[in-house]
Amino acid sequence: MQNTAKLTIDLNRPLLKDGPNFLSHTVIVADDLAHLKPTITAMLFCMVYIVVGSFLLILATYLLIVTTMYDLVIFVGGFGIAIATFGLSLIQPFLKRASFNKASGLFDNHRDRDVKLHHIISLHINNKIIQSKHAPNYHCYELNLLTEHGRRINILNHNNQQQLLQDAELLGDFLQVEVNDCRREITL
Amino acid sequence: MRNIREVLSVFLLAFSTSAFAEEAGSFGQSIAAFSELVDGFFNDYTGWFVALIFKSVPIGEANFPLIVGWLLLAALIFTIYFGFIQFRRAGMAIDIVKGKYTDPNAKDEGEVSHFQALTTALSGTVGLGNIAGVGAALAIGGPGATFWMILCGLLGMASKFCECTLGVKYRTILPSGVVSGGPMYYLSQGLSEKGLGGLGRALAIGFALMCILGALGGGNMFQANQAHAMLTYAFDVPSEYGIITGVVLAALVFSVIVGGMPSIASVTEKVVPWMAALYVGMAVIVIVVNISQVGPAFAAIFEGAFTGAGVVGGFVGALIQGLKRATFSNEAGVGSAAIAHSAVKTKEPITEGLVSLLEPFIDTVVICTMTALVITIAGLNVAPYDGSGLTGVTLTAASFTETAGVFKYLLALAVVMFAFSTMISWSYYGLKAWTYLFGEGKGKELVFKLMFCVFVVIGATIQFGAVIDFSDAAIFAMSIFNIIGLYFLMPVVKKELQSFIARVKSGEIKTYEKHSK
Repeated sequence: MQNTAKLTIDLNRPLLKDGPNFLSHTVIVADDLAHLKPTITAMLFCMVYIVVGSFLLILATYLLIVTTMYDLVIFVGGFGIAIATFGLSLIQPFLKRASFNKASGLFDNHRDRDVKLHHIISLHINNKIIQSKHAPNYHCYELNLLTEHGRRINILNHNNQQQLLQDAELLGDFLQVEVNDCRREITL
Repeated sequence: MRNIREVLSVFLLAFSTSAFAEEAGSFGQSIAAFSELVDGFFNDYTGWFVALIFKSVPIGEANFPLIVGWLLLAALIFTIYFGFIQFRRAGMAIDIVKGKYTDPNAKDEGEVSHFQALTTALSGTVGLGNIAGVGAALAIGGPGATFWMILCGLLGMASKFCECTLGVKYRTILPSGVVSGGPMYYLSQGLSEKGLGGLGRALAIGFALMCILGALGGGNMFQANQAHAMLTYAFDVPSEYGIITGVVLAALVFSVIVGGMPSIASVTEKVVPWMAALYVGMAVIVIVVNISQVGPAFAAIFEGAFTGAGVVGGFVGALIQGLKRATFSNEAGVGSAAIAHSAVKTKEPITEGLVSLLEPFIDTVVICTMTALVITIAGLNVAPYDGSGLTGVTLTAASFTETAGVFKYLLALAVVMFAFSTMISWSYYGLKAWTYLFGEGKGKELVFKLMFCVFVVIGATIQFGAVIDFSDAAIFAMSIFNIIGLYFLMPVVKKELQSFIARVKSGEIKTYEKHSK
């Protein structure tokens, strides 16, 4: 029996559950290349973890040399490694720059399978509210692309609405595709 | 490994001149001097506030703080007014948590189930109050304080039900689109509806001020202080090096609350429930290993509750300590939980109130009792109970260590994580109160956040006495304003409850039984 069920793509639905409460990336266009540039603020906050983790590792090393408190060395060192590793994992996405390259004809975000630029049919702006019981909730916005095969891939995800609208327009012009505003009213 | 160590030893030796040693010594002295300075400052400048909040009347040999009676009386009144809701509607609360009133096919995007909401809230509630707070209660109030803690937990369920229902009912959408709720909003809006707008605003402002102090005290300094105390106990870290613990914690808190990094918050949310499970697991092991001593421990708890043997002020002294530390742990009547619960996605405020009433039961009646059993079984807490021996987190840690030495390391890990997650939660409560008073704005919010981070360092540096006095006073002060408002608004909650139950009975609110496949 032939499966006649139709697949529908909800373009109003955000792709990601979380998002930062700051501007994480901006779009930079130069000739045939458009790439996402991480903001310094975002990088600095990731650096806090790396600095704190490194400090604890140095402290653990110092304690290893001057004392015989091996349990403390393991505890401090363990925390240091965990925090520094966490910081490095946070900073990774900022270091790998997603790009739209007209020369190669590909969009590469170092995460998903590369997308051929001519397969991109539109860009969509979505909004969401990031909720937590133990932190203030805040608005966050996504810029997502849609391919002719129905794939949706996230490009930008941060809380600076104005910057995201500008970047969406810039990217739309660069890719020569329409930008659809799919923001909706969210009630809790 | 040895080679690396030798290389580092040589490296250090090269710098180990007498001048360096002198410098290190003076650093230690500077830290000790700073600690004394801050401690002295808190003793001198917050003493009047502590004395005001804990104004006492003599009852027998003990001085009974009026604020403790205020909280107990309120919990008793709410219990009677809502018809012993914590006992009669506990089944309904569990059904809500199990999803009986939630359409499994109508789950909105981003919506969390009530069970998820409860586990999230519990992971926020289980913390140093259950570990350090119980240690402090038993060190000063003897084993009998446990009985009064349990009683306070049971009665406090009604207070929490009332305030959390109101928190959802009167939540507000701020100009930025952010949903904000809590006592500030139900006091001002709820009382305004009753024609008492002036009183409502005054209470809301008073609550917000105390909430800021509570966030800086119990939600911040106490946490940092006890985290370092735990490290001192577990690893023999000199107490004057609290400033290092403080700076590390402050940097991490800064990254979350100023930077708005969602990742660390979500990591914390994932790790803390495991820490809670680890803590409960350790307590269960101690209790099971010493199962023959559980009976005598309960006997000591009941006997101590009514005789108060060895406690300053007798049974009243035990009662005071039990009630104080139970309130500090479950926060019922304080109003802080209402801020957290107001952010949930629900159409029925009463369901959130019913779910929230389970928290004091699990937090105080179950987990605090387990800690008290561990301490009583270990037998390290002996009369006279004047707090001069082991107290707070060190008493709890020493009691766990009596069964297995490795527990102190696991406890150290759990305490640091609990302290961190509680600081994040209270930074949120404090920020809500701050923005209520001073309005939204990045600059205004940054002032509070930076101040919060500074207090982390101060809390880890100063002595336990000054911190716990100030922390207690600030948290208890919140209840003064909150409970006045709850008295005026409890008919609103009762109406909501009656309406909900009537709609459940009429079938307007459908029930969904889970069918196995």
